This record gives sequence, structure tokens and C-alpha cells, in this order.
Amino acid sequence: MEYGERDQKRRFVILTTIFSGALGLLVVNLFWLQIVKGGEFTRRARTVSERETPLAAQRGEIFDRRADDPLVFNVDSFSVDLAPGEVPSSQLPALFDRLAAALDIPASDIAQKVPPRTWRQFQPIEIRGGITLRTISTIAENMEDFPGVSWHNKPIRSYVESGTLAHVIGYVGDITREELQVLYNKNYAPGTTLGKSGVEKQYDDVLRGRDGKRFRVVDVKEKGVTGAEDKIEPPTPGQSVVLTIDRRIQRLAEQALGPRNGSVVVLKPSTGEILALASYPTFDPNRFFATDGSAYFSKLSVDPSSPFIDRAIQSAYPPGSTFKVIMTTGIVDDGTIPISQAVLCTGKIEFGDRTFNCWLKTGHGYEDLFGGLAQSCDVYFWTMGNRLGPDKILAYARDFGVGSLTGIDLPGEATGLLPTPEWKEKVKHKPWVGGDTLNISIGQGDVTLTPLQLADSVAMVVNEGKVYRPHILLRTVDPRTGQTIVDNKPQLLHESPISPQTFQTVQQAMRGVITKGTAAPVITTKAVEIAGKTGTAQVVAGVDIRSWHSWFAAYGPYETPNPDDRVVVVVMVEASDNWEWWAPKAANIIFQGIFANQDYEDAVSTLKPWYVPVPTVGRGVD
Amino acid sequence: MKKVSLAAFDPVLSGATVALLGIGILFIYSSGINASGVQVSAEYLRQVVWALSGIVLMVIFAMLSYTTLRMFSLYIYAGGLFLLLLTLVVGRTVNGARSWLGFAVIGIQPAEFMKIATILFLASYFSGIGNGIRELPRFLLGLVIVLVPIGLITLQPDMGEALAFFPIFLLMALVAGAQVRHLLFIFLVGVLAFALASIPTLHARSGAGGVSFFGLLSDSDIMRYLLLAAAVVTGLAALGWRSFRQRYFFWLAWAGGVVVAAGLMSTALRMVLKDYQIMRLVIFVNPQIDPQGAGWNIIQSVTAIGSGGLHGKGWLHGTQSHYQFLPQQSTDFIFSILAEEWGFLGVLLVFGLFLAIFLRGISIVWASREDYAMLTGTGILSMIFFHVLVNTGMTMGIMPVTGIPLMFLSYGGSSLWTGMIGIGILMNISRRRLRY
Repeated sequence: MEYGERDQKRRFVILTTIFSGALGLLVVNLFWLQIVKGGEFTRRARTVSERETPLAAQRGEIFDRRADDPLVFNVDSFSVDLAPGEVPSSQLPALFDRLAAALDIPASDIAQKVPPRTWRQFQPIEIRGGITLRTISTIAENMEDFPGVSWHNKPIRSYVESGTLAHVIGYVGDITREELQVLYNKNYAPGTTLGKSGVEKQYDDVLRGRDGKRFRVVDVKEKGVTGAEDKIEPPTPGQSVVLTIDRRIQRLAEQALGPRNGSVVVLKPSTGEILALASYPTFDPNRFFATDGSAYFSKLSVDPSSPFIDRAIQSAYPPGSTFKVIMTTGIVDDGTIPISQAVLCTGKIEFGDRTFNCWLKTGHGYEDLFGGLAQSCDVYFWTMGNRLGPDKILAYARDFGVGSLTGIDLPGEATGLLPTPEWKEKVKHKPWVGGDTLNISIGQGDVTLTPLQLADSVAMVVNEGKVYRPHILLRTVDPRTGQTIVDNKPQLLHESPISPQTFQTVQQAMRGVITKGTAAPVITTKAVEIAGKTGTAQVVAGVDIRSWHSWFAAYGPYETPNPDDRVVVVVMVEASDNWEWWAPKAANIIFQGIFANQDYEDAVSTLKPWYVPVPTVGRGVD
Repeated sequence: MKKVSLAAFDPVLSGATVALLGIGILFIYSSGINASGVQVSAEYLRQVVWALSGIVLMVIFAMLSYTTLRMFSLYIYAGGLFLLLLTLVVGRTVNGARSWLGFAVIGIQPAEFMKIATILFLASYFSGIGNGIRELPRFLLGLVIVLVPIGLITLQPDMGEALAFFPIFLLMALVAGAQVRHLLFIFLVGVLAFALASIPTLHARSGAGGVSFFGLLSDSDIMRYLLLAAAVVTGLAALGWRSFRQRYFFWLAWAGGVVVAAGLMSTALRMVLKDYQIMRLVIFVNPQIDPQGAGWNIIQSVTAIGSGGLHGKGWLHGTQSHYQFLPQQSTDFIFSILAEEWGFLGVLLVFGLFLAIFLRGISIVWASREDYAMLTGTGILSMIFFHVLVNTGMTMGIMPVTGIPLMFLSYGGSSLWTGMIGIGILMNISRRRLRY
């Protein structure tokens, strides 16, 4: 070649360099992949070929305090899965249609769960849960029509007495993406069932147990590989939960409340155990698993009466005259005003430039403390409240737990509100005036309480200063051995500095409400002597004068050698157009039922109250 | 006389080649094992047949004087082109099936043998013109010799095989004494054209919003103005060079020309290439764009290689391959199984064998002291080199997925026979050298 041997030699050197250099680079890259980062890829290869199938743990059952028949148990049911990769993409839409027809759901639901980006994947996707064995049999018999379709056991919850206790027990559902983000580190996986409200949510970690795992070595088609042993980590079943609820009293309370928006709390003041917790309107969690479950759920969610709200603990209302129990305690404890000092009620008082009218326009005449509470005389409490002053009233209210959580073991408890001068300044940009002091003295204005908080206030009077934390869990039990795992012992939450003598005086005054006061006409039960306080609370100032919340907070027996026998009952019925002052009437039936050991019908027929023309039957939202 | 010629079968070349064939058969066997440990494929048996017949072919070409081949090189080239045309007509029905599979190396592929034919004819042309290769027109005529088969193969379409002709041409022209600026021009135009062709899809698939560099290059209007500007610059620079003969005018025109040519070629590529082929270029840049689809192969292959470690998992004990995570195990991704089961040490062995072929080949070619032999040998080595680089690079995720088999190791007759013919020709060159 004419361009010279030296040049040619140089070009061969270049050629050799290109060949060896490229091979060298490949080897360096392989060194990086296999030696430096080899471990990482080994791990990745294992996750690709080793699949972990969860073995669902049986969710714990829920019992009432007698722990005999469960309130909630599990029913066998199936989930249908689809592995889209098993089916050619072109045939998938037709398969969706067939599967939708078999499951009686719209085909668009399936298309939504199996979007085109998953069509090459062999990992099964859960299409729908709550499928009966019969539907599964139909699919199994026509398996050639359903390539890639499989199913697995996924028990659903059955809530035995539909409608009762729905708010307390709550319900379960599939974990949402948002919940998964929060709970991922606690071993929750996609597709797990999770408590959404009530006890199911509060004690989810106790009830759910621990899922087991099955490790399988699989090929790309998710087929198990023979020869490779399945490793099994057995599941631990969830613990049974025994509630403090007494099923009999719960039923009684629910039926006594009837189809009225409101709630009932029955609690044992000596321990804080909740014997009944009713709220209306309610819902039926069993229907969430039915075919029209999601429609039912949406309907409940937009219902203006908010059936999902547990009115006993999640709604706070102005306490009205029931607040006078707290005022009475304050007046007695303060001692600056003799309890025998009478106040003249002319039916109104002038304060500043405003006139405050007592509920009895004609006036009560002279009333002392006992008469004032018994007759619920507003003028008496306005006068006394004005003398005590806001600071002392607020301090006593705080001592009674107004504005702070009771600490019940149920999710979503409301705090209520204790308005203070600072609060009013900050939120309403107005100074605290004398009118505010008068308002709070009769439980009006901005002060709000949940029915449970009021029950705790009464419990404090009953226990002469002690408040036990209200609770719904009695104990948890190992379902296999029947042994108690956690015993939820009473927990003293608060001890008031007020003397027992003061509380005994308040008890007398509350007894007077029943014997000669406002509640005397409706509390007709002979089964037990009770003490309590009625309350009617204006919903919002300016609204129709007939629209009142109706309260009744009481306890019984008034006198007993055994304080363990005592129960506190708080009934709250929301304002309705036709005000029927239902709360004390319902409490009358509840006390009769509890202490005469009668059910609702028997209690009603014993009492023969004029206000129950026919026994109320039928509950639930429809 | 017989004895002498047998001894002349270059021991390094034949030893390395036969060793590679053996390793190939071992791993084709391994690839046929399913997860239950049962051999489900007869491919390894067929490969034994291909290997044996390949050795026969190698011996035949080792005996057949390459000067005879030179005499017939034009007819061989023309015959090859005719077969390609025939494939284009007959292969259309096969093509549909191919594009469905992704890629397949079943049956005889004229494109494989066409590489040998082109090498023979190009070597004949370059050795004929001698130093004339430094002149642009003659250099370009050489380019045309490879562009014709490239065009026919691209129409099949088999992008990988078409690309294989570029390094063959560039390295042969390098040895033939072509001007470096010509070679660099073609190299840069090729790389830039493929990059530009894949950028719009890459940009669209990665879902990046807003204004970005890639975004600008994806906008066809902006690209058109950019090209126009580059063309104007090139034209002006060329004019300046003509008038003033200043060196920087030449390099300016050269650089502008690279951009203009690459731009035009990328436009042509986007029209010719199928979506899935552009997708392969795209996933080469980022396999995670479509991990269940086109990127799956690469992710699985890299995982298989990486999990091999130093020693590998042992022959027949790879998990990625036997649990069928690896696609095209016996053909395109044979290297991944090897790297998984024999580890880094096995990979070193295979690369060592290939390096032995390259170094021994270069020394044979250099020692031949004869233009035609030198160019033919360079072409053959470049062809093998391209297959090794692109195939193993693809399995590691550092080269685009082109469906290029790993010569001597991958399952398939056409590629194997082509390689064996090439080795045979190298041996013949080696024998001729002994005759001197």
C-alpha cells in the first residue's frame, strides 16, 4: 500500500486497541454488575422468583360482657382473582364481560381494577370479595370460559344483631391506599381487611391477629415450581374481644330511644364500664358486603342525619339545665352563699339592658337550692351564677371534665367546649360579658357536652368525687385456650378536691328533682329509686322556641349498700319539630327494665305510660 | 502434503472457536431446562448439528484459497443481494410473525451471510483502488457497497443486522487507509441519527413536562429550524472554505454537515423504523419506562447477570433463566444464562476466548502482507467484534436491544455458519502465509 507501512501499522494498533479496549470495558462493567453490586442483584433475583402469599389470620370475634354468643363472627366467603397475563390481551374484554355477568357486577368495575398496563402481569388481581360458594361453583363448572380466574377464601364479618351496636362495634373494609401509606410499616399489606370505625378500628391490632405466610418459588407465570418446598409460617388468630356492653341493656336502651335522633349512655360509675351506648339513626354493616353495598354506603354518607356519627360520644350539645348539677355542686362547695338562702323568682330578671326570662314565665316564687334544682329555676341559678362569678363557674366545670376528653376506648370522641373569656376573645373577638356568665349558669351559650361527658359528670357526683375512665373493653381472650390475655381494669381518671359531704348534698338535690321536681310526672318506675336532672336546651338562639334538645341525666339506686349496683343513665334526644320531652320518658323505661330485669315490652306494659301508645318496633335506616 | 495442511489449521483460532461452540451448546442445553428440571427443548441437539456442519464449512473455507473468493466476490455480492430481495418478497409473511415474537433467528437468514459477501467484495474494491480511498468519491462508492445491503435489510426490517455493516465498513476503511475525517463523519452521523430518532419517543414516554433540552429536540418545528440553520452554516462554511481555503472553514462545514446529515437520517429512520424498534432504543436509555413491557427483557437480563456473582449459581442452577424470567434464552440472551450460572469467572473465560480470536486474527492479517487478505480478515474480525460488543452489551443494558446473536454461542444456524465461514477464511489466510 502506498500510504506507507508505518501508517498502516498505526492503523492496526488502533484496530487492536478498539477490540481490546471494548472487551475491557465490557469486563469492567461485568465486574461492577457481578462482583461489586452482585449482592443487590441476588436479592432482586430472589424477590422475582420467591413469592410470599399471605395466609389470612382469622379475625377475632366480639362478645358482650356475658361472653356467650358472639356479637360479631366470621362467615366463609370468597374473593375472585384474575391473572390477566394468562389470557391473550385481545380476549380480555370478552372475559371481563363474562366474569361481570357471573359476579353480577358491571364490566366497567373489572376494567377499572384491571387496567391495560397490568395485562401482561401474572400476579392475580383481586376483582371482588364477598362472593358466595354458589357463584364460585358456577364459575368452577365453566372454567374453560374463565381462563386466568381463581379465587381464595376471604371470610367476611357477620354482625349478628343488625343495627344494634353498629356505632360501638363499627365495621371493617379493605385497606385504602392512604391507610396503607400510614400503616405499611406495621405489616399491613394491600388487600388486607381493616377496622374502619368503632371497636373494629380501636382494637384492630388485637382482633386481626398476625397473618401467616406461605413462601413459594414461582416462575414468571406465577406457577409454583415443583421440587421447591413451600415454607409455611402459620397465622396467629386474632384475640376475641369481650365488651363491657350488656346486650340486654343495650337492646332496652335502643328500643327506649326508638326512632328519634339522639343517644343513650348507660354506665357503671363504680368502674367506668359502659353497659349500653345507643345512637340513632344507625346503619347495618352487614349490608356493606351485599351486592349493593357501595350504593348503600354512599347513601348513608350523604344522609343529612349523619347515621355514621355515634351521637353518644362524637356529638356535643349545649347541656341546658343538666349543667345545673355542676352549678349546684359549685354553690354548695363554695359555701359563701348558704344553701338555704332563697331567691325570689318573678319569672324574669333584669341584667344590664337585657331581660332574662325564666322558663316558667309566671315565676317560681321563693326557691332555695333544693327547690331551685328541683324546679330547674333559671332565676335562682342566674342569681347564684352571677354571685359566684365566671372564674369559679369555669373552675368547677373543668373539675367536672367539661371541655376535655373522657378517654373512652373508642375512636373519634368529641371534646365539647367550655367557653372561657380568653376563648371568646380569641374566637369571637368579643369580651366576656355578664350575660355570658348568666348563660353558662343554665348550660346555654357556647358550652357543649357529649352525652358521655355528662354521664361522667353524674358519675362524679355518684362516686363523691371519683371518676373512672369510661371503657368498652372488658377483656381480650385467646380463642384457642379461652384464657384472658388482657384484663381491662378500672382506671381512676380524676379525683375531685370537693368534699364528699358536698356531693351528698348534691345527690339529695338531684333526688328532689325526681320526687317533687320537674321529672316527677314522668319518672313513674317503682323498680328503683333514682336521682337526676332534666334538661332542655335551646338548639340555637332565635330558632323556633319549640325546638329544644331534650336531656335526662340520672342514676339509681339512690341509696344502696352496694355502690356496684348503681348505674348512670344519660338520654339525649335531639330537637325535633314536635317536641315531646322524650329523654326522661326513655330513661324511665330504661331504669324500669334494668332494675326489674324486664325487656322493653315488659317494662312498657308494667309502666303503662300514657306517652307510649303502641310499643315502638322496627329500627334501622331505610 | 496432507500432513502439512492439517498442521496449518491454526491451533489458537480453531481451539478458541471450538471451545466457544462447546460452551454455547452447554448453555443452550441449560436454557432448555424448565423450572421442574426437565429438558423441554431439542435446540441443543440441533445446535450440535449446526456446530458440526459449521466445522465442516470452516474446513472447506480454510482449504478454499481466498484468492479464488476474490475472483468471484462480485458474483457472491450480487447473489447475496438477490437473496435479500427474495427474502423481502417471501419473508413478508414471516415478518408479521417476527414482529409478534419480537425477534427470531429460525431458518436461514441471508442477512447473516450477506456480511461475508459484502466483506469479500468491499475488500476487493478497496484493495483495487489502493490509495484512491483517500479521495472522497471513491470512498463514498465504497460506502454505497455497504449501503445497498443495509437498505434491503432495514426494509425487512432487521435494524441490528443492518447496523452490523457500519463497523465492518468503518474498520475495513480504516485499515485500507481512508481519511480519518471521513470515518469520523460517518461514525458521528450514525450515532447522532439514532439518538435523534429515539429522543421524541423517549421524551413522550418518560412523561416529563415543561421545557427541557429533550423537549426542544422533540418538537419537530424547532428541529426543522435547527436543521435549516445548520444547513445554512454548512453552506456558508463550505463557500468560505472554497474561497479562502482556511482550515477552520472546513471543520465548521464538517461539523455542520454532521448535524444536517444526522438530522435528515433521523427523520428517515423515524419513517422507516417500526414503533417497537424505536422503543428498543428508548428502553436502552431507560428500561424502567416500561418495566412490564419492552424494558422487561433488559431488567431481567441484568438481574440474571448481576445475581451470578463471582462463581455463578452453577451450570443448570440459574433461577432467573429456569423460572422463565429470561426471554429468548437460547438466542439473544444466552450470555445472561452464562453469566448467571458461571459467574464472573465464566464470563472472563468467554471474553478470553474471543480476545484470543481477535489478537490471533490481527496477527494473521498483519503477517499476510497482502491488501486483500488484510482487508478481508479485518472485515471478518470486525463482524465478530460487533456481535460480541452489541450482544453482550445489550444483555448488560449498556447497548440497545437489537436482536443481534452472540456469534458461536447463540442458538441458530445462520449466525453460526457465518462465523465459521469467517474463521475458515482467516485460517486460509494463515495457511497462505505459511506458504511464503
